[in-house]
Amino acid sequence: MTGRLMLSRTAENLYWLGRQLERAENIARMVHVDYHASIESGALVGHVPRTWDALIAATGAAQMFEAVRAGDPERSAADFLVLGRDNPNSIRSVVGAARELARTLRPHISREVWEEVNTLHLSLNSRPSVSEFELYDLCRAIKRAIETVFGLYDNTVLFDEGREWFRCGLFIERADMTSRILDTKYHLLLPAASEVGGPLDRYQWMAILRSASAWEAFRKGNRGEISGTRVVNTLLFDAEFPRSVRFCVRALLRHFGNATGETPPPQRIGPQRLITLLDLDLAAMDTRQAMAIGLHEYLDSLQTRLSEIDQALANDIFRALPTGV
Amino acid sequence: MPGELFEHYQPLAGPDEMFERDGSIRPAYRAFAARLGHWDVAEYHLRQSRADLALLNAGITFTVYSDDQGTERIFPFSLIPRIIGSREWAHIEAGLSQRVRALNLFLLDIYNEQRSIRDNVVPAEIVFGGPEYNLRMVGFEPPLGVYAHISGVDLVRNQDGQFVVLEDNLRTPSGVSYVLENRTVMVRVAPDVFPPHGVAPVNDYPSRLLATLIDVRPPQISEADCRVVILTPGIFNSAYFEHAFLAQQMGVPLVEGVDLVTHNERVYLRSTSGLEPVHVVYRRVDDAFLDPLAFRPDSTLGVTGLMSAYRAGNITVANAVGTGIADDKVVYRFVPDIIRYFLNEEPLLPNVETYAAVVPEEHEFIKQHARELVLKPANASGGYGVLIGPQASDDRINETLAAIEAEPRQWIAQPLQEFSTIPTFQDDKLGARRADLRPYVLTGASTWVLPSALTRVALREGSYVVNSSQGGGSKDTWVLTDDEDMDDVAAAPGGASSQSQTQRSDAR
Repeated sequence: MTGRLMLSRTAENLYWLGRQLERAENIARMVHVDYHASIESGALVGHVPRTWDALIAATGAAQMFEAVRAGDPERSAADFLVLGRDNPNSIRSVVGAARELARTLRPHISREVWEEVNTLHLSLNSRPSVSEFELYDLCRAIKRAIETVFGLYDNTVLFDEGREWFRCGLFIERADMTSRILDTKYHLLLPAASEVGGPLDRYQWMAILRSASAWEAFRKGNRGEISGTRVVNTLLFDAEFPRSVRFCVRALLRHFGNATGETPPPQRIGPQRLITLLDLDLAAMDTRQAMAIGLHEYLDSLQTRLSEIDQALANDIFRALPTGV
Repeated sequence: MPGELFEHYQPLAGPDEMFERDGSIRPAYRAFAARLGHWDVAEYHLRQSRADLALLNAGITFTVYSDDQGTERIFPFSLIPRIIGSREWAHIEAGLSQRVRALNLFLLDIYNEQRSIRDNVVPAEIVFGGPEYNLRMVGFEPPLGVYAHISGVDLVRNQDGQFVVLEDNLRTPSGVSYVLENRTVMVRVAPDVFPPHGVAPVNDYPSRLLATLIDVRPPQISEADCRVVILTPGIFNSAYFEHAFLAQQMGVPLVEGVDLVTHNERVYLRSTSGLEPVHVVYRRVDDAFLDPLAFRPDSTLGVTGLMSAYRAGNITVANAVGTGIADDKVVYRFVPDIIRYFLNEEPLLPNVETYAAVVPEEHEFIKQHARELVLKPANASGGYGVLIGPQASDDRINETLAAIEAEPRQWIAQPLQEFSTIPTFQDDKLGARRADLRPYVLTGASTWVLPSALTRVALREGSYVVNSSQGGGSKDTWVLTDDEDMDDVAAAPGGASSQSQTQRSDAR
């Protein structure tokens, strides 16, 4: 039988291609939304740079940036986050990694997908710097390029097991990034507790919604004013919003099921159990309970569980030693 | 006549592919030249920049390692194509097919009956002393008796206007992806210069290659069950692009050593649905790295146990292990005799005059005439270690002669071969640059020659070195399909020119 088969290594690389592209797109969106929000709200709060700190914290690079800043106090946060070669989670580094994956995946993806990823990489790689003025256009171009890749993928690549792994990567990354975007609120300290619900607080929540492309979705479901609980509900639990954590985990479960139809049960069972449990927990959870646990703590636990799923995929499926001939 | 671009064009000492000695245009180039007429330098630059961008975006690049910014460069692509008339091509095709058939028979013989060695067609010490002669292949006959499934033969057009063979590449010849990509780019950026009836298409190659690989599967495997893979050393190999390109075009998995496992003398691929059997391995990994159990124990590129599965007849390896002995440059010296011996035919494509240092009289000749000869290591590729006598310093010549003295089996020498030029754009003008020609031959149940070739061009003025690793570029290669009337008048440079040729492009 010479049906289409999937090399374990190819499956893993497709999963990571989905993850890296989704990650780059999210960082680009965060940068361009939050950057403008910070300029506008600067008058409200008096010190702009906090937003950058929150963004860098959301990509998990806060300590690294502190160290870089210690050596070079002039280093701009925008440069570190967008073009930093010394930052493995800068957009340039993430796109570069995606492009290397795409290169190993050339036989599996279409020429169109490859050329779009390659062109994006080449344009970022040759860019010496980015000014504040150029930031908006650059981030927008990056987002569009990545959305084009997703579109081309669906229209030029086989709907086979490989696509399921690609989508698994995309959705696990999206779930993780949405929780991180939401978590930036934790890093955006309000000057005083009394300002909760005040104009700056509302402004920050709105910026978070925009960072997650959730503004329109939020408005359709919420007539009333913007509040923390409502935003949290949209981003974590809205079953219809395609970037909510609940939606993403449900999608992950579905794509994982499709991808592993032929996988021997002993390899499949571990990750399947973890994804299913997370899906059930999200269905049973609501905003009130999450807030009671503490939003930051709850988001932390979500990120830990996503990372456990990632590990299980690597250990049980992508790198499993062969069983039985 | 072509216009501005060719105003100051000066051919060199050797023949030129586009122009006759008297400055008139060779038949094969006429339709092209008429269509190129309206291009000026600015137009040329515009087309060239589009071609370069297309190649860059397609990722047909290499990384500049000296530069930590990961800058990538394309292999230079030169827009003026090499054009070969159909009649001349038919001759090349017949000559290549003859040569590759003879070399396959030679390989089958030296690993089995060894008739040719008893009859002293090639001296025994040259065959058995060759580093690529593989003892593990003795007494083993690969399916259909084919060893060199994919061959690339380097040709040049010499002073007399005749195509001659410079060397054979039978191990893992590369470059065919550039043939296909160059054509894609050429059609995209210069559709207006193609002749009215077009040129022989090249995009058939991947399907032909797959059919060839399936032809030579282990005979007990049915065609429908046969699984083909390409084995690559990985992403850091300079030809990785080609490996990925061919895998994609053929729709077969591109695997690295770690993706394959062997069990009970069978080879399997590690997939998400478990282990899947593999039957044909088109390997782009050298013999020495193929199986750490059989060859280099430190290799991590290969597959442990692959050789046992091969010898047990459960997989086919393409090209066969041990094929390298037939493209050894010392053996090359004897290929005309090999053709006569095995096929009882005269070679259609002659060799270049060659002296093998392992033959005592010839070694003596090399010592006497080193300054007039090109000295070549017998088992290197990419132009490495080659010494061009007329252009080398005394020290370098003496060093090389000492190396030959130490290991005569490893060296050959040839007179400096003058070869033809093609107009090539450099520094804002067209100059004559030397170019070679590497056609590709596939051998399965039958032999097929791709109707095009890799044309490599020496970009530096006056240079004889076309290798991409040493400043060479490439060109699209057109084989004309509908030019009989032109061919009747003249097939090659040096042939009669004049009167009756029609520029058919003008008639449209």
